[in-house]
Amino acid sequence: MTRVVLVPGALALLPEYASQVDPVAELRAAALAAVRWLGPEAAVLGDTQGERVAAALMGAAGVRRGGTAAYLVVGNGSAKRSEKAPGHLDERSFGFDAALGDALVAGDLSGVDWSLADELWASVDGLRRASPLVSGSAAVDYADDPYGVQYWVMRWGS
Amino acid sequence: MTLRLGRHEFDDDRTLMMAIVNRTPDSFYDKGATWAEDKAFDRVAQVVDEGAEMVDIGGIKAAPGEEIDEVEEKRRVVDFVARIRAAYPSLVISVDTWRASVGDAVCEAGADVLNDAWGGADPALVDVAAKHDVALICTHTGGAVPRTRPYRVEYDDVVRSAIDDTVAYAERALAAGVARESLVIDPAHDFGKNTFHSLEITRRLGEMVATGWPVLVSLSNKDFVGESLDLPVGERLTGTLAATAVCALAGARIYRVHEVVETRQVVDMVNTIVGRRLPARAIRGLQ
Repeated sequence: MTRVVLVPGALALLPEYASQVDPVAELRAAALAAVRWLGPEAAVLGDTQGERVAAALMGAAGVRRGGTAAYLVVGNGSAKRSEKAPGHLDERSFGFDAALGDALVAGDLSGVDWSLADELWASVDGLRRASPLVSGSAAVDYADDPYGVQYWVMRWGS
Repeated sequence: MTLRLGRHEFDDDRTLMMAIVNRTPDSFYDKGATWAEDKAFDRVAQVVDEGAEMVDIGGIKAAPGEEIDEVEEKRRVVDFVARIRAAYPSLVISVDTWRASVGDAVCEAGADVLNDAWGGADPALVDVAAKHDVALICTHTGGAVPRTRPYRVEYDDVVRSAIDDTVAYAERALAAGVARESLVIDPAHDFGKNTFHSLEITRRLGEMVATGWPVLVSLSNKDFVGESLDLPVGERLTGTLAATAVCALAGARIYRVHEVVETRQVVDMVNTIVGRRLPARAIRGLQ
């Protein structure tokens, strides 16, 4: 069965933006563990920045790029979930992220309304392309919005 | 090369704050504030709390004044060093002295560094450093006699002189048996120098760093800052920090300071700008 992992496109995950104290330590740990779970190689679905995040995580996890047995999807929910969020507060974020999160957990993205994604600064390119690959319920390794951006680390497949 | 200061080792990317603790009644900046031993001990506690990796204990003020013989100098510093050693095992203890006999006594009491601010005035100091396997700060004074002020001193090239003399001093110490990783050079701002000399040393500090020997700078509240800005002692912190930033940019490793917190922030900020140090915690725009 095809393995699929979702991680967010947070640039803080890139080594060129490392700090002395990792501001996304918990997210990074969850993301790396999930990427390792993909196996020796995986294809990547994400936008240009997401591709860079994927490359960094796969490099750190020792996963090669390629094949069709596993996929690393880079995407996240809204970036407008608090007044300190990058896109400031937009109350519509909560409904959008809740619906998207539920669809991801259920493994069925067919009913997701993507129309608000751009307005809410959600990064969904990879998610939309992953739609046909995701099936069955997800294991949720991480779900939080520590900086006003909705992050998920999820796994599908066995 | 790892820097080894007596019992303590520091990686190449570490910068160190050496806090000044005077056991004198008459030093220019604190004017005897830590003359009483308990006050000096409180000062040590304070600078440790502020993050200083080192203290530099001095029993004689640098400027001319009352003659302090070695008996009195030892009385002021030796037992005090022992007390600090017992209380702060991980603190680097430096003693500012040019006398070999005093150096020997403070090393017995637990000192890690001999800060020879007078540039080898006592030739036996290197042997003491070697005997105790402690670090030695090799300073440049242009040949000045201890506790004298510069008077019409001139150099063909003050930076060349500082490099030649401090490196020669370090090589002499090395030959005497002091470990290579325990030798530090210091251009000694204002020692045997007028303000123009100290400014040039600051401007061209990178040339000293390029020798490969770790460089210590002692800038804190000195007259070259005061004369540059026309400010008295007590109003020279901003100027000191500006000079500190220039020296940090050049790559100085150790900073002998009165104000630990402010200097640490300046040095860390400069080294972060340069790329020698990571930001503490950066997330803005990277979420």
